[in-house]
Amino acid sequence: MYNLIGRQLNIADYALGSLSRNLWKNAGVVLVFGLVVFLVASFSLVTTGLKSSAEALLKSVPDITVQQMSAGRQAGLNSDAVEALGQIYGIREIRTRIWGYYFDPDNGANYTVIGDDRIIEKEGIPGIPITYLPDPESPLPADRAVLGQAVTGALDLGERRSFSLFRPDLSVKSFIRVGQFDRETAMVSDDLIVMGESAARDLFALDPGEVSDIIVSVANPLEVDTIAAKISSLLPGVRVVTKARIAKTYRAVFGWRSGFGLACLFGAAAAFFILAWDKASGLTPDQRRETAILKVLGWHTEDVITLRFWESIIICLAAFMIGYSAAWIHVLFFDAMLFRPVMLGWSVLKPTVSIIPSFAAGDLLIVASLSILPYLAATVIPAWRSATIRPESVI
Amino acid sequence: MIELNNVEKWYNRGTVNEVHALHRINLAIEPNQVVCVHGPSGSGKSTLLAILAGIIGPTSGSAVVNGRKLARLPDRFLTIHRRDTVGFIFQRFQLIPELSILDNVTLPLLPLGVKPAERNRRAMVLLDLLSIGHRARFPAAEISGGEQQRVAIARAMINDPPIIIADEPTAHLDRALSLEFLSIIEEFKRGGKTIVMASHDPLVADSAVVDRCLPMRDGRLEGPLQPI
Repeated sequence: MYNLIGRQLNIADYALGSLSRNLWKNAGVVLVFGLVVFLVASFSLVTTGLKSSAEALLKSVPDITVQQMSAGRQAGLNSDAVEALGQIYGIREIRTRIWGYYFDPDNGANYTVIGDDRIIEKEGIPGIPITYLPDPESPLPADRAVLGQAVTGALDLGERRSFSLFRPDLSVKSFIRVGQFDRETAMVSDDLIVMGESAARDLFALDPGEVSDIIVSVANPLEVDTIAAKISSLLPGVRVVTKARIAKTYRAVFGWRSGFGLACLFGAAAAFFILAWDKASGLTPDQRRETAILKVLGWHTEDVITLRFWESIIICLAAFMIGYSAAWIHVLFFDAMLFRPVMLGWSVLKPTVSIIPSFAAGDLLIVASLSILPYLAATVIPAWRSATIRPESVI
Repeated sequence: MIELNNVEKWYNRGTVNEVHALHRINLAIEPNQVVCVHGPSGSGKSTLLAILAGIIGPTSGSAVVNGRKLARLPDRFLTIHRRDTVGFIFQRFQLIPELSILDNVTLPLLPLGVKPAERNRRAMVLLDLLSIGHRARFPAAEISGGEQQRVAIARAMINDPPIIIADEPTAHLDRALSLEFLSIIEEFKRGGKTIVMASHDPLVADSAVVDRCLPMRDGRLEGPLQPI
């Protein structure tokens, strides 16, 4: 038994020495290969991170959202519609919501403002973790607000609790920060300012009774589509959006972006594997001589193939570890700066979005199969060709 | 026992580069003999040794070494023949220059799965026997020609083969080192080995350690042979 394991260990040890004899050349291959792994792994980590953020967001999305449309765009909705919806059997809860965008010219950023009393009253929302701050010792005459991480940074609040925004007539409205959204939901919460419904109405100077939309909870998830249809017929001219449709949109957006990115990476990977093939098939005279010597000394063809296989494995594993580690650092500490234009292209005016890479064995396997397996496949035939060199060539 | 019967060897047969390297060679070598195939360059000595070592096959005729018909052996068994039955010493020694002396000597043991400690122990016994043990960790590129030859001998002996084949072993050595080589060969003969050398060096051909000297010219063995 030792002979089988010992043979592998001996040949692997020799392969390591063989690689170190051409250190700079092989280090170059490892670096280029590592770069390919880095690109593929970074993209995979970003995609997975964004998808998990999107999944977290979907938990908080209401079963049905009702919006008023005017000339193809969303318009304010009268809260009287709530009474009409109350007639529909199967609805568990109906709430009005106020939301809109607030442009901050100093930072060139667009914040999303939501009026929701549940968050301000610390009831929270499923799927959106919030860290609440202790109440201030001397309460200020200001409305309470919960901020996204990037908003806090953009407003340069630091430890400060109070900040101000402008109403449409440019009068100042003061707020006090009472909580902060956690980083896990950064993709959807980074640009958020959540305040009480009345505070949001005041900030946007909305008429009494005007709301942005109505959100509906349904007791039986199987009846969502039926109830959505009833709402459409009851309130002509409104747009009724179900949770399933929002989920489908998110997945389509991320799926398209992932596919686009992977297509771009395929070109880089293909170029590398051509390089790998060229490197492995273009044996130097010294390598050919070494192979012939080994065969005269009693190495079988499969021993030489095993040697070349171990050389490839060592290069692959080194490149994979370097590339994957660099990808984690790139995504975790540098917010995937290389992929931001592709993955977050629509958020030019939004605050910086942080991406949290999430570990998934499946993703690891995909990256490994996109890098290690093609490299081994690209080198196996050249390895076999080099191993079949006749021993007489050294005589 | 080595037997060659009507062995012919052609290279590039049927082309303009055709070479008829061996003409109907008949030869028998008894165990524990030291045989020197003697002749000028291009006479076919290296081809003859390569056939005995199982490195190439004859075009026709049969080569039987220790009861094995080499011409009929599949590649896999020829490799085993090269590993277990013969130790081959190349004309230019063919060491791997970046490896240490010790690592060069132990190369044949790697695919056998021999543990590093055992490999090194066996190699050191041979290197000490050849008076080069003190340089075991030196890279092969940094030692003299005579030392390289001793390393090549140790590598050929590491599997303790019954037959040693040496191609022009003194071609790159001065007279003193050549005599030293012959004394090593004598030592191996006393140990029961069969040794077949190819050389155009009269020092080797005329040496007392050589039992038989076989003159060779233009692919033919001349003089007093032992035809089968």
